[in-house]
Amino acid sequence: MQRYLAAKAEDLKDGQMSIVKVRGIELGLIVMGHEYRAYRNICPHEGAPVCRGRIGGMVLPSAVYEYQFDEQQKVLRCPWHGWEFDVMTGESVIDSAVRLRSYPVEVQNGSVYVLLTR
Amino acid sequence: VEAGKQRRYGIIDADVHNAIKSRADLLPYLPRVWHEQWLATGAGVSGSYYSPVGVMRRDAIPDDGGSAGSSPAFTLKDHLDRYHIDYAILTGSDVLGISLHPDLDYGNAVAQAYNDWVEDFWLKASPRYRGSILINASDPPAAVREIERVAAREGMLQVIMASASQMPYGQRFYHPIYEAAERHRLPIAIHPGTEGKGVGGAPVPAGYPSRYMEWHNALSVNYIAQINSLVCEGVFVRFPTLKFVAIEGGVAWLPHVMWRMDKNYKSLRASAPWLKGRPSEYIREHVRLTTQPIEEPDEPRNLVRLVEMVGAVDMLMFSSDYPHWDFDNPKTALRGFGADQRRRILWDNAAALYGLRVSSTAKAVA
Repeated sequence: MQRYLAAKAEDLKDGQMSIVKVRGIELGLIVMGHEYRAYRNICPHEGAPVCRGRIGGMVLPSAVYEYQFDEQQKVLRCPWHGWEFDVMTGESVIDSAVRLRSYPVEVQNGSVYVLLTR
Repeated sequence: VEAGKQRRYGIIDADVHNAIKSRADLLPYLPRVWHEQWLATGAGVSGSYYSPVGVMRRDAIPDDGGSAGSSPAFTLKDHLDRYHIDYAILTGSDVLGISLHPDLDYGNAVAQAYNDWVEDFWLKASPRYRGSILINASDPPAAVREIERVAAREGMLQVIMASASQMPYGQRFYHPIYEAAERHRLPIAIHPGTEGKGVGGAPVPAGYPSRYMEWHNALSVNYIAQINSLVCEGVFVRFPTLKFVAIEGGVAWLPHVMWRMDKNYKSLRASAPWLKGRPSEYIREHVRLTTQPIEEPDEPRNLVRLVEMVGAVDMLMFSSDYPHWDFDNPKTALRGFGADQRRRILWDNAAALYGLRVSSTAKAVA
């Protein structure tokens, strides 16, 4: 794995996706509290720029005609077909076998690094 | 069944029409206040579509006259015995429209009278006849009372209502009906013919087709709408053991509908968060389709391939629609299917749904 500088931590806004380009690969970079995540900006469905989708709470599974909205459970909704991915895990909320391509993130001295295989 | 061959399974016909020979036959079961209206108008809901073929088979008129399907003895001989059918599921004739009658009280009264008449006139005529409890779907509290009144009667094995409705059948307005049916372990069946009649609105959202052929072609559109509604509204989540029988609404649309619903589920499941899995899984588990009028592609195997693609062989139940013009013959209608598949469609699937066993009559004719 090779470490690449992706962003300055101070430039990231909590809970918002930043689109960065590292070694020619477009990534979505997000910080939630102290947790950082980096995802490839390609939806596994049809190749949409998934990280440009809206991030919001999640409608949880519920009984018929009941609605439970969890503001804390953040999902990223792909801008093309609305597929929902858990922002923390990158997994589709209805099929854990479907997931965003994610990359390890390291933060050091205010710099955010993404680890890519060489 | 080929001549001389021992039959190892029976046949259940999931759509046989039992007609009322004379409107006066229903009077003993109908409160006096409705007699003149019933004699003058019948179900009181009619349509404008003319078929050059006619609805009834001309060769199915009973020996002693009356309309086709109006004699229990003749239907036994002319249809069940001829094709070695063990059981006929009776679906009525010219009565489903009561769900689309503007007067709920009249519709409820006719439903009750019809159910009592079916028991006396048909179910007592032969154990090979099994009944469907007619309800007025537009008045769910009354429909529930009717289910409660009739459910325990010998030979009644499902609830039936018109496939045309004033709003999609998944909506919670109708849920009390499903709750009652599930409690009594009765499937709910819908049957076409009333599309575009009474207070039900146009047969398709595009409006009124011009002629019978066009109207008949489009019946499956309404079936798609009803199945779609039932699944998306969570009817099968709320009523997890309920089965829904789509009679005479077509088969080959299943792959499209299942695939489209599953695709949209991945995108839009948040608007139906009660769905615990793909819509197609609910359809496969809860919906049964009767086969007539079976689609007839030039290559019969192509229909079978479509059915196999979506794992729907066990959703199908053979039906003939006797004595209607578009009758399917059990010997020829399933010709593309393999022997094992034919057994499941002719017997196993309906026997499992309705809890029927091979009758002594069937063994005798086997």
